[in-house]
Parts: sequence; C-alpha cells; structure tokens
Amino acid sequence: MTFIVQFWGTRGSIPTPGHLTKRYGGNTSCVELRCDDTLFICDGGTGLRELGADLLTRGHKTITGHFFYSHTHWDHIQGFPFFTPAYIPQNTFHVYGTAEGDRRTYELLSGQMRSDYFPVDFGELRSNIVASHLDGGTRTIDGVAVTVFEQHHPGRSWAYSFVKDGHKVVYATDNEIDLTLPDPARVVADPIAPRAIPDAFRRFCHGADLLISDAQYFDDEYTKKVGWGHPRATTVVDLALQAEVKQVALFHHDPMHGDVDVDRKIALCKERAARTNPQLQVFGAREGLSLRIG
Amino acid sequence: MSSSKTKNDWNDESTSEISVTLLPLSTEQTPSVLEMVQGPGAPRNYELHRPEYIVGRSVECDLPINSTDLSRRHVTLRRLPSGQFNLVDLQSRNGVFVNGVKVHSAVLHDGDSVQLGSVLFIFHEGRASS
Ligand SMILES: [Zn+2]
Ligand SMILES: [Zn+2]
Repeated sequence: MTFIVQFWGTRGSIPTPGHLTKRYGGNTSCVELRCDDTLFICDGGTGLRELGADLLTRGHKTITGHFFYSHTHWDHIQGFPFFTPAYIPQNTFHVYGTAEGDRRTYELLSGQMRSDYFPVDFGELRSNIVASHLDGGTRTIDGVAVTVFEQHHPGRSWAYSFVKDGHKVVYATDNEIDLTLPDPARVVADPIAPRAIPDAFRRFCHGADLLISDAQYFDDEYTKKVGWGHPRATTVVDLALQAEVKQVALFHHDPMHGDVDVDRKIALCKERAARTNPQLQVFGAREGLSLRIG
Repeated sequence: MSSSKTKNDWNDESTSEISVTLLPLSTEQTPSVLEMVQGPGAPRNYELHRPEYIVGRSVECDLPINSTDLSRRHVTLRRLPSGQFNLVDLQSRNGVFVNGVKVHSAVLHDGDSVQLGSVLFIFHEGRASS
C-alpha cells in the first residue's frame, strides 16, 4: 500500500501568479492523494484545473475520484468548473458532505456554475457527479478510512484524515488553531513556550506520516489577523510536535508572501521544531511536489 | 535659479521619420544545468538538452553516476511542456531528496538541491528561447 500525495495548489485566499511566487506556486488549495488506484482530491481550488489536465494524460479509460472539501470559500472551489474530467461522460466523482443529508458542498459547487458566474451550467457536466457523505464522521473507501474533524474557521471548515494499513495522511487547512488554544495570552507573552494544542485535534492528527496544515501567518502578522481563520505557522509546529507526526507540510501560503517570505517562514518553523524534536520534518508545500507514504 | 526654459528632446513634439529596421530577437537561450557539487567527479556540470534523462548507477543511464549509493535507475528528469524539469524517483533504494525533503517527484526550480545517496546536485534553471 502506498499513498502518493501531490500538491497542485498551495496558496491561500486568492491565486497569486507571478515570478515572486514561482517556487511555491500561485494556485489555490488542491491536493491529490492516491492510494493504489483510488483517487482522493482535497479541495478544488485553482490547482484543480492542472490536476484535471494531468489526469487526462494518465491513460485511464474512466476516472473515479472522491472529493473532500475543507469548506466552500472561493479559494477552495474555484477550480471545479475548469476540471475537464468532470465534462467526460464515463467518469464519476463523489462529492462528500460531512454527514448524512449534508449537500452544502455539492450545492455550492453547482451554484458557482450558475449563469451569473460561469457560462457552462452544472447540468452540462457529463460525468456522473454524486453527492455522497460520511457516516458518523467517517467512511471507508476502497479500504481507506476517511475521518472528518471540524476546525475553527469563519463559516466552518473540516479536516480529513486518510488511513490505510497503519499509514496516515491528514489534510487540515483553513483552521485558526490559535483561537482554540487554552491560553492565547501566554503566546504573546512568551512566544517561545510550547502552546498546548487541544486534545481532540491533537488526537485527530496523532501519528500522521504527513500532516498538511494551514500555516498562513508569521507571529507578528497573526496579531493583526485574529479571527480571519488561519493560524500562526509556529503554532502548527507545536501541533505537529505534540501530535507526534513524522512530517508537516506548511500549506495555504499567504497571498502577500513571496517565495522568500515562505522560505523565511519555513526556516523559523524548522528552528522551532528542532528545539524539541530534530527528527520532525518541516517543509513548505509547493506546487508540483509529490511524496510517497508507505 | 534660471527661469529660462531650455529646449530638450523630451519636450520636442516632433518625431523624425525613419525607416524602421527590425532588430534581431534575443536568441539568448541557456540550458538547464545539473551541477554535481558532491559525488564522483565533482564538481561537474551536466547540461540538460534532451527532453528526458535517466540518472542512475547503470552505464546505460543517460547520466551514469558511478556510486553504489545510487540504484541502477534512480531518477528520471523529464521536460514538461512549460520547459521545466520534473524529477521522479524510480523507486530507488536510497530515495531522492529535494532541498532535504524526501520526495516522490518534484518540478525543479532554480537553486534546488537534489540529493541521491551521497551525491549532491544543484539545479540551475535554464532560459528557453521565446
Ligand atoms: Zn482558504
Ligand atoms: Zn476559508
């Protein structure tokens, strides 16, 4: 069993093309997770367009994919109307709600293709697009157990874990972990001190081979953006340490950050990690990068 | 401070007509380069002109590297339509590390380090002709 995790869009909030963001990329959230022949797609930001184009070069007669959306803010859904495989009749895509009867994502995906927004109607997508859902927060798909966790984000957002044969990948973006800390004032008074991550989320991420986490802000930026729905990158390091994950991909890069800023953010996070556990692998998610797990 | 207004070219509204001769387009085109900074024969540069390379220990590879750290066929470098190179691990024994991260594949950017066992390269992105 192998998971292949590929980053197609790592930017937060809005696409940021241009030479300043060339290395980490300008496309918004989209991560492909393959487990043997099963395809999972986490979020459909603008990176989804290129994933779609790539899928068509892989020589499959039919494509089946399972979409898990963190939430339906623009930067997480905008690629869907440009996802070419959805226009091809023999393909099937499942769009998962977080519970039975939860069709919000499915309906928002179709809503964004109303004629006010887009020239092609959702009904004209020729593939079979199925509104599916998790049962009691979990579902097993081709042997992969997918579990959901509600995060802290304006308008709500969800993290997903994917587990098979003892290997685990967690996708957790748009999550203001800092607002869930038991003692937020202490972070400002003593930024170096470890920040206790609430148990439930720590357990949800526990032991992951790879944690992909929103890590949008530097500490000094965060104080001006409390309530915007994103964490301090350094808090994500503490999550990774306390959840004993093997590696953490810093994700959902701020649109104001060029490659050099992201490099600096990663360097700070590595430094923080190394003080407690030099074994923890910290890196910046970037477009065109894929990892093999298992 | 003088109040007299001197005539200069910027203010002159007339433009003299000439017959425009097209200047040659820039032909500057530099290949991407894999610079071996550590390994057998280092330092040395491999210019990447072809659309695909296989790097490994086997002499049959496009870029054969005589190091037992490498698998016979360790990694491919394939040029994408964008002109960038995508590197893919061929399930090598010792893996492929880009900037210290063990990867399955990566689209390379200028300055990336690529480590195969104890062999270390720096990737220099070329410039395609327009
Ligand atoms: Zn977002
Ligand atoms: Zn959001």
